Amino acid sequence: MSEGNLRVCMAGLELRNPVMPASGCFGFGKEYAKYYPLDQLGAVVVKATTLKPRFGNATPRVTEVRSGMLNAIGLANPGMDQVLNHDLPWLAKHDVPIIVNVAGQTEDEYCQVVAGISDSGLAQAIELNVSCPNVKCGGISFGVDPQVLSNLVEKVKRVSTLPVFVKLSPNVTSIRDMAVAAEQGGADGISLINTLIGMKIDLTTRRPVLANKIGGLSGPGIKPVAIRMVYEVAQAVTIPIIGMGGIYTGEDGIEFIMAGATAVMVGTANFTDPYACPTIIKEMSQFMEDNGIANLNDIRGCAYA
Amino acid sequence: MIVRVDKIMHVSPDIWELSFVGSFPYEQVNAGQFVNIRIGTGYDHILRRPISIAAVDQENKRLTLVFRVVGDGTKWLSGRRVGDDLDILGPLGTGFPIVQGKSILIVGGGIGIPPLYQLASELNEKSNNIQMVLGFRHQADCFWLDRFNQLGEVTITTEDGSLGQAGYVTDTLGKMKATGKVWQYLYSCGPMAMLRAIREQFRGTSTQGYVSLEEKMACGVGACYGCVCSSENQQSAKRICIDGPVFPWQEVAL
Repeated sequence: MSEGNLRVCMAGLELRNPVMPASGCFGFGKEYAKYYPLDQLGAVVVKATTLKPRFGNATPRVTEVRSGMLNAIGLANPGMDQVLNHDLPWLAKHDVPIIVNVAGQTEDEYCQVVAGISDSGLAQAIELNVSCPNVKCGGISFGVDPQVLSNLVEKVKRVSTLPVFVKLSPNVTSIRDMAVAAEQGGADGISLINTLIGMKIDLTTRRPVLANKIGGLSGPGIKPVAIRMVYEVAQAVTIPIIGMGGIYTGEDGIEFIMAGATAVMVGTANFTDPYACPTIIKEMSQFMEDNGIANLNDIRGCAYA
Repeated sequence: MIVRVDKIMHVSPDIWELSFVGSFPYEQVNAGQFVNIRIGTGYDHILRRPISIAAVDQENKRLTLVFRVVGDGTKWLSGRRVGDDLDILGPLGTGFPIVQGKSILIVGGGIGIPPLYQLASELNEKSNNIQMVLGFRHQADCFWLDRFNQLGEVTITTEDGSLGQAGYVTDTLGKMKATGKVWQYLYSCGPMAMLRAIREQFRGTSTQGYVSLEEKMACGVGACYGCVCSSENQQSAKRICIDGPVFPWQEVAL
């Protein structure tokens, strides 16, 4: 089956399909390349990259909850130099667009990493991580104040020749305000949602399971929250949206497109099934065929149109 | 891949033995590796459970796991019946290096013991001289003692003295070391406190040690950085699922 009906164009990027793994759930691609060719994907989104290497939080960092999981990895990554010298050159050999998720503690740090990635010529887009809930000053402060966010996006845009997507936190009062602020700052697109802050307590130890105590909730259980937020944001901005949150099937992906997303990211599902992304691509294409839909544009945002 | 449960039985009050047959790359298994098992079919359980490989039968293409029921996921697994399908990924991780013609000490504690059976089997085929010290809480918790006995000299310890020597494995190791006995290699799997104590006991000796570590995992393939430990020099993160679970003991912080 050809999946030509899934082609999308977004912020100048030509994607063979709208399905990409979510940052943090796919490492730098190497691990899943053992399971299927990465060029089947719409794009590869790599783990959050910071200026300096980060070990991350103490373990346990992950735990399962009903219909989801909590994680508090803490932006563990080998740092920009290693990513530029080893991880991206390997990934760039594959015929698939690369989106690099960038995190920082200060505007200056964000700008240095974005400039480094942009200048390297190894990536096709940046995703600005202003929403990691697991790190103090790990970007979340940029993700909850519209003015602070707008300023950051403006500065980052000045040093980037690549399109910049801003990944929003759902842990805010108004997701619309944050999306509008990102757009005003010059963002080329918005991705949402990052994880919802949660906690699990071990009844035996009577303490939180995660060493970090709190963690980000992801998985099938959060999908209705994500759909609602994409639906709201799509009506408030004109830039493209990458929707995510609990996508496990092609029908889940289609639901996000109907809510107004141009593309979708698959996160936790990769852990349940390493073949999740290719399966979802096939299922989305099948849904289009079965329902006589020629192009995703025909159903994008139909839920509110 | 989908495999079929071939055998499932209790081996102690909360420990189960499960074997499966079916399409699986049995020939690729190294002692110390694990499989990652899908729990249920719906969305209640979305993380797989990593279970170490206790034994692989290359001839009959059959793999055996021994696991303790510690939560909902392993409880579901213990409820499988012969003929049921299991969705399995593996073999995963980096296992134990198999040496030849050496003097070897294998030390296991509790539910860390199962992968040491496959290890002892592989080492036994390579003309190694194998001594084993296996620690349990009580006699009732012991399993596979007859199997281990076929692969080398086994000393059992129980915390309450209900079987073998009373106390922890480290008490027995202390006595064995005091006789002047020296081992070229030491392989161990068990609670972190035990691994730490053993490494301390052998610090400054010529014994080369390997330890198998455990941590909660999400992806099981090295992508999520959920199950890391620190390198001994605290310089970098080691992923237990892919860089390990087995590490040379000087390379990781215990």
